[in-house]
Amino acid sequence: MGKQDIKSNILTTTVESAINWGRKNSLWPMPFGTACCGIEFMAVLASRTDMSRFGAEAIRFSPRQSDLLIVAGRISIKMMPVLIRIYEQMPEPKWVISMGACASSGGVFDTYSVIQGIDQFIPVDVYVPGCPPRPEGVVGSLLKIQDLVDKEKLFDYTFSGSK
Amino acid sequence: MSLEKTTSHVKERFSEAVLDVTEFAGEQIVHIKSGSVFDVLKIFRDEGFNFLANLTAVDNLTLGGFERYSVVYHLLSHGSVERVTVKAYVAEDDPIIPSVENLWKTADWQEREVYDLFGITFEGHPNLVRIMNPEDYKGHPLRKDYPRKGKTERTDFPVVERGISKENKT
Ligand code: SF4
Repeated sequence: MGKQDIKSNILTTTVESAINWGRKNSLWPMPFGTACCGIEFMAVLASRTDMSRFGAEAIRFSPRQSDLLIVAGRISIKMMPVLIRIYEQMPEPKWVISMGACASSGGVFDTYSVIQGIDQFIPVDVYVPGCPPRPEGVVGSLLKIQDLVDKEKLFDYTFSGSK
Repeated sequence: MSLEKTTSHVKERFSEAVLDVTEFAGEQIVHIKSGSVFDVLKIFRDEGFNFLANLTAVDNLTLGGFERYSVVYHLLSHGSVERVTVKAYVAEDDPIIPSVENLWKTADWQEREVYDLFGITFEGHPNLVRIMNPEDYKGHPLRKDYPRKGKTERTDFPVVERGISKENKT
């Protein structure tokens, strides 16, 4: 191998940005579709807006295999403990998108049985407005999540037992 | 048998229990006392009203009526294609009514729903537990005097913190 080859084949970077680059382009979403937004979310995966262009097509219905929780739909008081359990089952690092008016604020359902915004109980990274949001909006939120992943600092991670 | 015949039959046999018979939008409504609902509905069923299309309840708190609650039965006869509504009035202080689960199996879940949301007890129901709300839920939210935004059930959840500090993310 000549000097010339080394120049064009080796890329220097930091571990952090290499990891973040890998992570952000291969998010594994876990859809939590409880209402009409869940139906709209299907369109996000379909040919027209195709989330796989951004590396997030590996939808997993198991929280243990996912790092991006997409809450699509209204969350009732009976569903909230389930959502909390699912969030807790996802391995770190993890991100949450609150899709639609209902998940973000309860929407028009200001009643005894609907949670008025999931962010009261679980951390949310990106909110998508709309009822339902357009698929482009959801893709936009995915790009926002990618920006967040890019800013991730490996310093922030502590492993259980270490401080 | 036709609806007219059946209602007059019911009126005859249960003159005590039938409070009124009215008509609204071309449909007959038979108002009865809650105690004899099983016997009255049994006559309707035996005389052709084989299908319980719907079972629900109404809180008459602001509407006025014979009693605070009415349990409403919408019956349909597949034979004569006739419909009839039966309203049974249930007192506020002792909301108990006989179950009709023995007459139509459909009543099973619908009575559980009324029990869950209105707190009306169906005597003789095989499994009267909440069907919609969580099992440990308190109160009956479709009663008109229940606060629309609930009591504390919307906020009674643990708050989950982030596992990783992400201060730099905001
Ligand atoms: S925000 Fe609109 S579309 Fe989405 S779940 Fe609520 S009502 Fe349905």
